[in-house]
Amino acid sequence: MLIVILAGVLLAFLAPLLYRWLGRYVSIPMALYPLSAFVFLASYLPQVLSGETINVVYRWAPALNINLHFYIDGLSLFFALLVTGFGTLIMIYAGGYLKGDPLLGRFYLYLTLFMVAMAGVVLSGNIFCLFVFWELTSLSSYLLIGYKHNKQESRDAALQALMVTGAGGMALMAGLLLLGMAGETYTLSDLLHKRELVTSHDLYLPLLVLILIGAFTKSAQFPFHFWLPNAMAAPTPVSAYLHSATMVKAGIYLLARLTPVLGGTEVWHYSLMTAGGITTLLGALLAIQHTDLKAILAYTTISALGILVTMTGIGSAPALQAMLVFLLAHALYKGTLFLVAGNVDHATGTREIGQLQGLGKGMKTTAVAAMLAAMSMAGVLPFFGFIGKELLYEAALGATAFKAVLFAVSFFSGMVFAAVALVLGYQLFWRRKARPTPLRHSLSPALFWPPLILASTGLVFGLFPAPLVTPVLRRAAEAMLGVEQLFELALWHGFTLVLGLSLLTLLMGYVVYRYSKRLLSYSSRFNILYKLGPDRVYGLAIKGLLLGSTSLTRIIQNGYLRVYITVMIITLIGLLVLVKNQSQLELDLSQSTVTIMDVRLYEVVLFILILPALLFLIRVRSRLTSIAILGMIGYSGALYFVLFGAPDVAATQLLIETMTVVVFVLVLHKLPQFRFVGSRFQRIRYMIVSVLFGAMMTYVTLLVKQYPLVSGLKTFYGENSYLLGHGRNIVNVILVDFRALDTLGETTVLGVAAIGIYAMLKLRMDKDH
Amino acid sequence: MKTLILAVAIRIFIPIFVFFSLYILIRGHNHPGGGFIGGLICAIGFIFHTMTHGPKETSNTFFTVRYYRLTPERGQGFLLHKLIILYKNLFRKEEVRTGSEWHKRQFRIDPIFIIASGLFLATTSGVFSLLANQPYMTGVWADYYLPIIGKPGTPILFDLGVYLLVLGVVLKITFIMAEE
Repeated sequence: MLIVILAGVLLAFLAPLLYRWLGRYVSIPMALYPLSAFVFLASYLPQVLSGETINVVYRWAPALNINLHFYIDGLSLFFALLVTGFGTLIMIYAGGYLKGDPLLGRFYLYLTLFMVAMAGVVLSGNIFCLFVFWELTSLSSYLLIGYKHNKQESRDAALQALMVTGAGGMALMAGLLLLGMAGETYTLSDLLHKRELVTSHDLYLPLLVLILIGAFTKSAQFPFHFWLPNAMAAPTPVSAYLHSATMVKAGIYLLARLTPVLGGTEVWHYSLMTAGGITTLLGALLAIQHTDLKAILAYTTISALGILVTMTGIGSAPALQAMLVFLLAHALYKGTLFLVAGNVDHATGTREIGQLQGLGKGMKTTAVAAMLAAMSMAGVLPFFGFIGKELLYEAALGATAFKAVLFAVSFFSGMVFAAVALVLGYQLFWRRKARPTPLRHSLSPALFWPPLILASTGLVFGLFPAPLVTPVLRRAAEAMLGVEQLFELALWHGFTLVLGLSLLTLLMGYVVYRYSKRLLSYSSRFNILYKLGPDRVYGLAIKGLLLGSTSLTRIIQNGYLRVYITVMIITLIGLLVLVKNQSQLELDLSQSTVTIMDVRLYEVVLFILILPALLFLIRVRSRLTSIAILGMIGYSGALYFVLFGAPDVAATQLLIETMTVVVFVLVLHKLPQFRFVGSRFQRIRYMIVSVLFGAMMTYVTLLVKQYPLVSGLKTFYGENSYLLGHGRNIVNVILVDFRALDTLGETTVLGVAAIGIYAMLKLRMDKDH
Repeated sequence: MKTLILAVAIRIFIPIFVFFSLYILIRGHNHPGGGFIGGLICAIGFIFHTMTHGPKETSNTFFTVRYYRLTPERGQGFLLHKLIILYKNLFRKEEVRTGSEWHKRQFRIDPIFIIASGLFLATTSGVFSLLANQPYMTGVWADYYLPIIGKPGTPILFDLGVYLLVLGVVLKITFIMAEE
């Protein structure tokens, strides 16, 4: 299992190199990876179909309950097969779509990375593991949306998607942690049996809200839907794969996965049904108001996601089954239609439906694919989309509450889908053949085969649902419901009410299509509403954040070293007082008097040297003198270290003192004139701070002396430094061996500081010139 | 700050600083010393040089590699070409200096490279233990003793990394300060 993930990551980072070596044939190895992953995952099918679940655990940080845990049951396998199978076609398509693009290697890097992350999300069996992969999908989505990085629009859209899904990710993290606390386990498969414990827990409401925010942002539910249409700035393969078929369904997956744990409560039902219902309506409404192919598809995707969430919210067995069937059907037809839109854009250079007509002659295969997919989308009889639509209506009519509302919502979206399907499957390609939009070039096989394969899959699934999809979907539904379910898909149910409604949908869809121009003219009256929409709120929030952080930075980073130091010292003193109040440590000076008696002569000499130097330092009025005095005090301190048997520390101190003096001398003539800053009041203030700091350090030192730390560390290092570390200098062995990781961190900080100083001074210099 | 005595003396002293710092680095494992102190000592030598001669001079004298480059023949392997350049530059100086097909080249070793290589060395020294299926940064030691160095092991490499990093950091800061 791990090898699938690791191979993907490795291949992802090899992609740019492969592109350099193989040129346009790079799509072959890149497509082989998802294909082999698909085959590998499919090899688990017999086991899963017989009702088993598979757990593969790699220990990561077991003490923190963080494990690389892969969990395969019907639901995760269904999603994983969708991700890898769809991924194979997308990899081939991307090679054709971005042919000759110098950055194709990088594109494959991002895309493969996303695929690995997405597979990780659906296969994770541990909360932390899930979250890591979840965030990885957000990151790779950011990179993919911003692929055309020279366009402002792409960059903004990428950042917006990252902000929204990233913020949702934060909420999800908190929610999952709370879920882990409430369920007393961080393993998903164990959580699935803890429903009573979790739903009756005090934390149930907050954790539900947080998890829902995570899922809703990812799956573009109202009011977080606005990032998805903007994300269409990405190249079309990305839109088809991430923003229609897989990534946006990660939220749905999460909801489905957690249904057995969180579902069934009233809050769950109503929040999902409300959010899903509004999203469905909104997406459908906005879809008919746009004329850009990808925008239309994006809004219908939002609408479809809304339906999926609503169905999950209803939570009954037929609703969840309908959800799964519709999800698969949607992935197949919407993916196809996005690829078709990409082909049209590629061949004609425009995506405005007003300018496109009669394309059927020039791009026959694409037209056939578009037609097949559109029929599935509209829900015409032999297609898989038809089965999905039937089930949706059945589920809506079978709901316990708000039957009418739920049905109206799904009917309305079905109507819009039918209208959009007519536009995409008929209007673009076959209406008005007289003056077809001129094609700039013919399409390569890599561009028209993937949509055709996807669309025909929809047809095949529709004709033979029982042997092909039912077994997997049955196990997936079982994973959500927790009990064995009768699950049968059939194309023909007889002359039922639902069939009649289905036909009515098609009819109404045609009406909407016929009068779409007139509808568009009415809809412009709603434009004022968009100014108050969430997209605008997002813009204002970002602006506010920038303003706020600018003014905060101006306060915190005021550039006065003395202020920084004062703040640091006062904070330190405050913390110490706080700790002191909480602990029972009392300073007993009677013991310290004894230690005064055995002071050695050298120490007294050094003391006599330091004290007058300090007094002199306060009064001195030349920078050079004060630096020299500071150096002298430092050297005396180093001598103390020598006296107390710490030659390493002493040597370091001596060298540092030397260097400080030298560096000061180097910059001496650049510093402003040395003078006492501020008024008498300010001087007294600084004096108080210094005295307080000195008193605090003395106090702490005496306290530490009185309560020596009892630990086995000293003896441990003493005994083992030569045996394990092969060195007799304990300090050095600790630094480079026992605690080498700490040293590595410190040295890294040192390096970063050097770069920081460089940048700071270089910027100043550039400004001066 | 041009004082004649220091300016002349530091040129003689720099090798001593460098060798002493290396000695401190190597003895660090058993006696007081180590990478941090060693790096500081080495850097101080160069700091004094910078103070008396200026940063340009220091970097020209000690941190610039000069060599002669040969234009590669057609069909000549990449590695072979570099090896020839290395060999001729090291052992056939006269030929290289007078030959017309050799072109003089030079590149400056910016202290940032020293910082980077130090960090790289320190980070990678911990990887060896991963190959032995032990946690990252577990010390791996050889079974034999070398003259001067003693028992070789990855912590020595780590210490060398710290040495280089400290040297680089101090040099970088000094060069910027002195340049301004």
